[in-house]
Amino acid sequence: MSSQSYAAPLRAVDEVVVDPDGTSAAARKRVTRTDPYLAGHYPDFTIYPGVFMLESVVQTARELVAVRHGGARATLVGIRSLRFTAPLLDGDEMSVALTLSADLVAKATCTRGDGKKAATMTLEFRVD
Amino acid sequence: MTEHGEIKKLLPHRHPVLLVDRVLEIEPGERIVTVKAVTGSEPCFAGIPDDAPADAYDFPASLLVESFGQSGALLWLHTMAEAGGVPPGVLIFAQARDCVIDGAARPGDVLRHEVRISSLKPTNVFLTGETWVGDRRIASMGSAMAVIRESDSLSPAPASDDTAAPAAATPMGEPA
Repeated sequence: MSSQSYAAPLRAVDEVVVDPDGTSAAARKRVTRTDPYLAGHYPDFTIYPGVFMLESVVQTARELVAVRHGGARATLVGIRSLRFTAPLLDGDEMSVALTLSADLVAKATCTRGDGKKAATMTLEFRVD
Repeated sequence: MTEHGEIKKLLPHRHPVLLVDRVLEIEPGERIVTVKAVTGSEPCFAGIPDDAPADAYDFPASLLVESFGQSGALLWLHTMAEAGGVPPGVLIFAQARDCVIDGAARPGDVLRHEVRISSLKPTNVFLTGETWVGDRRIASMGSAMAVIRESDSLSPAPASDDTAAPAAATPMGEPA
């Protein structure tokens, strides 16, 4: 896991599994109130910020790109669409399901432990 | 409303996730210009190895979008306050479309968000705008939508051993 080698608000995925064919990946993340930044979001009540679901998907995509492109690093260059549909609270488990096309467009769904869809997004990446 | 303490009266976000430092300009119902200084002491830069390349210090896009969104929330909340209203719930960042991230900010840079309201309804707002570092545009936000939800919809499911309901959520707005 290379998340500490570049700026990131937190390790936004606990585990990433990249499909051997390099077109999809799955990740898990358990939200805890002790995660970095969450002390301020909010002081009396923990909600995983929507943009941290974006961060979880970006980190998942980076893992996939690193596998598929020989260690190369992916940079987020566009958000085509992003929709948040359910909140993630302290203790919630989130799973990320992501596919990445040949031209580096990622489609991802974040699902909460109870099966409720928490976010969907379509993102564009660049590989340096 | 220009200084940090006044921002905290409107936004419930707190250190280290309060990502607006100062308001430069504001026209209720129309537009806001805010700044956020990026510094090397922020938690997102902790633990980066000494031999990391320069772009390892690019301010994360997720925090950039959050900072833009908080600026828009400030504009909406200030607009409601000017009209003598109180948000009938909490503000939630609901969706975004067509955002382009052209560049990056690094420690020492100051983000300047220029956010405009493109549509304003009682319980939702559409925002558009750009983020600059000096005269260099680093992001263009085609459309971001925030909504007001009843606080109850954010509370955790009642737990059997939890007799005292938690305080109502106050994500954005509703100063506690």
